[in-house]
Amino acid sequence: MNMLKLLPIAIATAVVSGQLLANEQQENSRFAIAGYGDVKYEDSKVMDSSAFSARFIPIFLFSLNDKIHIEAETEISIDQQGETEIELEYADIHYFLSDTTTFTAGKLLLPFGQYGPYQHPSWINRSVFSPGIYGGIGGHGGYQPMQGLLPVMSDIGVGIQHIIPLGKNQKIFFDLYMTNGLAAEAPHDDEEEGHDKESTLEGNEEVDEHTLELPELAFEARSGDNNSDKALGGRISYAFLPGVEVGASYYTAKYDDDQKLGFTATGFDINWIGNHYIVRGEYIKTETDDFEEDEHEENKVTTFDRNGWYLQATFMAGKMFNVLQGTDFVVEYAETNKINEAERWAYGINYWLDSRAVIKATYEDTTVHDGEDDKRFAIQYSYGF
Amino acid sequence: MKSILQILLVVSLLLLSAFSSYAEEKISGAEVINNNCARCHNARAVHEFSIPEWKVIMPHMRAKAHLTGQETKAVLEFLELTSQSVPQERKIEPENAIAPDGKQLFTQFGCQGCHSLQGDGGTFGPALDETIKNKGIGFFIKKLQNPQFNNSSSPMPKMPLNDQQIVAIAEYIKS
Repeated sequence: MNMLKLLPIAIATAVVSGQLLANEQQENSRFAIAGYGDVKYEDSKVMDSSAFSARFIPIFLFSLNDKIHIEAETEISIDQQGETEIELEYADIHYFLSDTTTFTAGKLLLPFGQYGPYQHPSWINRSVFSPGIYGGIGGHGGYQPMQGLLPVMSDIGVGIQHIIPLGKNQKIFFDLYMTNGLAAEAPHDDEEEGHDKESTLEGNEEVDEHTLELPELAFEARSGDNNSDKALGGRISYAFLPGVEVGASYYTAKYDDDQKLGFTATGFDINWIGNHYIVRGEYIKTETDDFEEDEHEENKVTTFDRNGWYLQATFMAGKMFNVLQGTDFVVEYAETNKINEAERWAYGINYWLDSRAVIKATYEDTTVHDGEDDKRFAIQYSYGF
Repeated sequence: MKSILQILLVVSLLLLSAFSSYAEEKISGAEVINNNCARCHNARAVHEFSIPEWKVIMPHMRAKAHLTGQETKAVLEFLELTSQSVPQERKIEPENAIAPDGKQLFTQFGCQGCHSLQGDGGTFGPALDETIKNKGIGFFIKKLQNPQFNNSSSPMPKMPLNDQQIVAIAEYIKS
């Protein structure tokens, strides 16, 4: 056959093959990008300033095959000094062991409570700010005076989750994890000069527990550990779908180099969703060990207890009144007790432009027992993509 | 407390083996969306991502929302169903007319996954019999033609239904 006659057939074959390959690749993509971002104006009394801020938080998703899935979330923002900050929120690999069991390794969101692992993205959180018991993570710009009980969202290690479906509308979730855990914060300059906490306690025999200072702990995830002890934890929850989920969480780790001092957190959470309302709440209790000198000037381990809780109620007025379509009203109360006591009320109004873009306005009033109170107002435009 | 954790670990491993092959039944993707998405966030509009993108996003949501593999598959099937193109309307001859089956379409598109009918079904969206009773059939037809026409934040997907099929579903609900 003449080669010239074969040429159009070859070209046509190549075009059709290329198209088929492209279609196949398009139908079975390996990569997707999702995420969220926000722009915020925040005015704070305690910081005596007001400022705009912005964050962009892409989530990179890869499906290697039906069993293996990779995900990574990075938060890109600009700090108060004008430097661009890039933070790896999580980066992990899931292996779907069975229909109901998933193994995860990497930097993972700790399944403790509901706010950290599930509700902290700004287009999901119904308030501009994070709940008081979580400190400033995921919400406040700069300093905020309410000291969180478990100010950590992710750590490096491994985890496993298992689901037990109980009929169509009920499930039990199990999450277990082992991570590097927390460490003692490096001593400050004044502590190195001999003005550490122990010496402060020595000179004050009638110490009011409200004035006690907790050991400073570093919760940030690191690819390293100051001891061989690993943080262990888990969450068990029961979901009566689609309305109610209640859970109990646990976290424990030794934080000092000699593995003598421990930190333990226990939590209970509820997420209650109705046709026109959402109620979210969490209670966290922590036990933090520290050395204290006894009458023989020997160190003994003392445990400091703290606890706190928050309850956030959202009334989705738009689902009840047509004229208020897309409008939510939010009220939240939080308190921390025993050490670094504080209470906070927050009131908000949200307007949903569509199902993934919201303008939120929140006013927050914080009373701190031994410190400066704060009043804060913020407007945030948040979007999921 | 450490002993509680150990007990939790043992119990979960036991349950893992005991329940790893739970009873298989047909799962409605719409019902999975109704039951799980709103636990954390508003449901995202189906057309926000392409089907190939959803295929990568759903394993992420499987881990986040504690979905089983079967539920994840059911959601993807539902998303694929809603992404189909609208079928051509059939010319119905009076003598041998076979109108679209509203009940069959109602089931096929998983309407009851998110909406209740006579008290049975999902709660993510409003009750359908109440909607037709209160707002009329015209509103219902317009809503299915353009789900965001009256509410830009509605996550209701635009189903691939032609006008005949929409009317058939409305008639079924009314009956």
